[in-house]
Amino acid sequence: MSNRTNPAIEQILQNIEKVMTGKKEVAQLSLVALLSGGHVLLEDVPGVGKTMMVRALAKSVSAEFRRIQFTPDLLPSDVTGVSIYNPKEMEFQFRPGPIIGNIILADEINRTSPKTQSALLEGMEEHSVTVDGVTYKLDKPFFVMATQNPIEYEGTYPLPEAQLDRFLLKMKMGYPGIDDEMEVLRRAQKTAPIEELEPVVSIAELRQLMEEVKHVFVDESITRYIVDLAARTRDHASVYLGVSPRGSIALMKASQAYAFMEGRDYVLPDDVQYLAPYVFCHRIILKSEARFEGISTEEVVDRVLARVPVPVQRLVK
Amino acid sequence: MSDLQKKRGTASFSLYALSFVLLWEWLRPVQQLTETGHIGTFLGFVFMSLSLSFLGVWSVLASLAKMIYILYSIAKIHYQGQVFNLSWLGLFLEDAQANLGAVWNGQWAEMSNPFRTLLFFILIWLVTYLIDYWLLNRKRILLFFLMTVVFITVIDTFTAYKGDAAILRVVVAGFAILGLLAFYRLAEKERLPSGHLHARKWIIPLVVMIAGSTLIAWTAPKANPIWPDPVPFIQSMNDGSGTEQGGTAKRVGYGSNDSSLGGPFVGDDSLVFTAEVEERHYWKVETKDVYTGKGWVSTKGEHPSHLEFSGETPPPIMSFYGNQDEVLRSTVHNEVDYAHIQYPHGVRKIVTDEFYLYRLNRQTGKITSLKDFEPEAPASYTVEYEKPAFRVKDLQDSSVEDDDEYAHSIHNTYTQLPEDLPPAIRELALEVTDGLETWYEKAQAVEKYFRNNGFVYDQVDVAIPEEDEDYVAQFLFETKRGYCDNFSTSMAVMLRTLDIPARWVKGYTDGEYVETLESGTRVYEVTNNNAHSWVEVYFPEVGWVPFEPTQGFSNNVVFQTEENSEVPADTEETEEAAAPVPLQPEREELEPEAASAAGSQDGWRKSAKSFLANNWKTFFGMIVLLAGAAALAYWKRGKWLPFYYILLFKLRKKDEHFPAAYLALLAQLERYGLRRRPGQTLREYAWEVDQFFSSREMRRLTDCYEQFLYRGTLAEGTWQKSREAWEYMIKKAG
Repeated sequence: MSNRTNPAIEQILQNIEKVMTGKKEVAQLSLVALLSGGHVLLEDVPGVGKTMMVRALAKSVSAEFRRIQFTPDLLPSDVTGVSIYNPKEMEFQFRPGPIIGNIILADEINRTSPKTQSALLEGMEEHSVTVDGVTYKLDKPFFVMATQNPIEYEGTYPLPEAQLDRFLLKMKMGYPGIDDEMEVLRRAQKTAPIEELEPVVSIAELRQLMEEVKHVFVDESITRYIVDLAARTRDHASVYLGVSPRGSIALMKASQAYAFMEGRDYVLPDDVQYLAPYVFCHRIILKSEARFEGISTEEVVDRVLARVPVPVQRLVK
Repeated sequence: MSDLQKKRGTASFSLYALSFVLLWEWLRPVQQLTETGHIGTFLGFVFMSLSLSFLGVWSVLASLAKMIYILYSIAKIHYQGQVFNLSWLGLFLEDAQANLGAVWNGQWAEMSNPFRTLLFFILIWLVTYLIDYWLLNRKRILLFFLMTVVFITVIDTFTAYKGDAAILRVVVAGFAILGLLAFYRLAEKERLPSGHLHARKWIIPLVVMIAGSTLIAWTAPKANPIWPDPVPFIQSMNDGSGTEQGGTAKRVGYGSNDSSLGGPFVGDDSLVFTAEVEERHYWKVETKDVYTGKGWVSTKGEHPSHLEFSGETPPPIMSFYGNQDEVLRSTVHNEVDYAHIQYPHGVRKIVTDEFYLYRLNRQTGKITSLKDFEPEAPASYTVEYEKPAFRVKDLQDSSVEDDDEYAHSIHNTYTQLPEDLPPAIRELALEVTDGLETWYEKAQAVEKYFRNNGFVYDQVDVAIPEEDEDYVAQFLFETKRGYCDNFSTSMAVMLRTLDIPARWVKGYTDGEYVETLESGTRVYEVTNNNAHSWVEVYFPEVGWVPFEPTQGFSNNVVFQTEENSEVPADTEETEEAAAPVPLQPEREELEPEAASAAGSQDGWRKSAKSFLANNWKTFFGMIVLLAGAAALAYWKRGKWLPFYYILLFKLRKKDEHFPAAYLALLAQLERYGLRRRPGQTLREYAWEVDQFFSSREMRRLTDCYEQFLYRGTLAEGTWQKSREAWEYMIKKAG
């Protein structure tokens, strides 16, 4: 066994690499979310290439790409779509909103009202939208990459905790390194490379890959390990609210996808450990005294990872 | 392996030189406090050993050189330097063989000087080997350094040795070694390039610091000790009963005033005489018959009746009616001019070159040699004697006949006891001999009583009876701690309370074995340390029979059973065989019925209990020893477990043994010091381990194990393929 990744995955990543320099990890994590049917929350300032990355990803998997720019005056119907009365046909006709697509970039999600936010979040969780009493199933794959400004910025509606839970992963994009940024500038002198990007897999193939991910083996010792990790966050001294069982499930699914991408058909504790910060951090609410002490959720997760023993022996049943 | 081993530079030289200084400190007190001579030779050996390992001489060659040095030294010291006349070698081997036998029988005192020299050399060899190991492989010497410091302080506290300068030398040398080794360890850990630059950066401050602190310590005013001198404290801790006057320690040796016994004595190994003997035996000087409650005196009131006789005639001493024709000879070379003759029990004739007249004190049995009617000791003399051997049957049949005047008079004289003798002594004697019929059995029971029952042989912490206290009662019931006088007096008094005639005998033990002459006679040196006392019991028609109640001594008297097999009197296992009726030493603890119904559970339990009660020390010692061995094995398991695992897993060929092997490897790596943090995955750990050993095997093994553990599959032939990698890793971690 080596770090040989799955060939299709490798190609997708290379494709993204063509337009995004130095962001392989973000691309990889986005792919983890896509493959395991989850969504990603990117917390970052504008202009670091979020849109570019999502578009490249969408293009590589031949998926339909939509983008919703959230503004304070955006209405839920602007997201889900509306039924409009067609006088010719004498009936209401459904005009699908931008959420009806495969890969959706929900930009600055915390700029809009909670009502509009929940319209998107419902779709993310239920894989369907209900407009005027009619439920429309969303096509698979359905992958939302939401971005939010760091919450200290003015004019933002922070996402409620319950809704943060809906995102499989939360990560930061960060600024590129100096060399990477020079490369970005160099490429920007020519035509945008995104236009030349060729799809690598078809939607059907992507669905096939997603199906395979579900069959990645998770040993009982690993599920036990994940549960232990989640449980440990719940009784951590600095934590007000720990990771929910939904969080444990998310970590397991993400680990399966990651193991699959690494070309393995079984999950290692290493996968779990690698993904745990991305899966857990936004699901933990710290006690206010811990926040005042400057403890971050990342530190809590790191500590939990260091404490919970990795399974190195067969579970005795 | 390391810089230290490859490079024989100044630093490495100073390490060895300093170690030499430390070892030298161990030898210095030996020279001053013991009789060991030729310290220079031993020091030379230390020097040679350390030089050889410093120079990195091939170990076989080095061992050869060391052996030659040892043999040469032994020849030079003990065989008049006939180094090249190899006949001494035969003698030495014979001697070594005899010594091994002595060691095997636990007769430590029997070891001869050449053999001791050999052992001492071997000890030094071991120590230098250890030092070499500590310096080169472990790069740690703290343990040895601490031991040296403790040794010097203990020696300084408890003996005449003055350790002031020694402790200074030890501390300076020890800290220098520690500092240097710390540098080497650091250099190895941080992979510093070897070079003088780093070494100098370290060594100069080290030297300055040691010199500075030593100077300050040397010149600084020293406070008086806060704690009182521990020695009197330790003595008083063990005191119990009246060693407050223990300051009056006696010097061991032969003296004629025994009227107040007790108190500690210090050893005195000045030579009294050397003896050439065919068989080893005790040397009698005199006997005493009156016990005063504090000690022994001779019958008062009458003038002692003297008998004078010449060497031609047998000494008119009544010892025993022998039943053997065998006459043995022993020759004495006096070193001290005591005008009395030391003689074996059963003496028949005293032979000297010059004419001497002998005067026998009939009460005490003391023989004084006279030349021109003035007491003077002959330079040397030979005594012929009959070997004391007694038929057990005779002893058992012996009884005082009514018409035996002599036996009656002996009985009257030798059952004397002070009027105020505590009755508890008689009660104890009755208890010990309960159920026994004959004098012989009773005497044996009392003799054996001192073997166990909490009695301890001790020359130092021995009480002196108080004004109103009985010497024997104090020993029997309070202290249970003493030397030959305590044991012998107690036995004699106990027998007398049972109306058995017994007397107290003074003299010397057989002494220290020196060598065997070509004629087969063995040479012993008898020093003041060998002064001894024991008991003789009178059996009518047999005579005076010696008994030896003192722990750890053996008088070489033979008791013959009816089968006529000879049994030396005082060895534990044979004594039971000697008595036709097996004596139960704990008879007093057993109910008569229980003793007869040996098979009944109660009896079994009781006898087991008494067995335990008697042998608890042995048991306890064995348990401690076993526990110690187990603890040591456990502590050092990191060293031997890999070999065990390799052997174990050699036999296991199936794939399912791979996980166990991998887990064993993990445990071994942990013991080696590569700790896996609980949150560290196997993969990360394997990477770290491989990084440490510059290997790749751990990652390969971990891949296989991960598949087994997290995937639940074990590819066929996994163990076959990974065995080599596994053995490699576990050896690395050994």
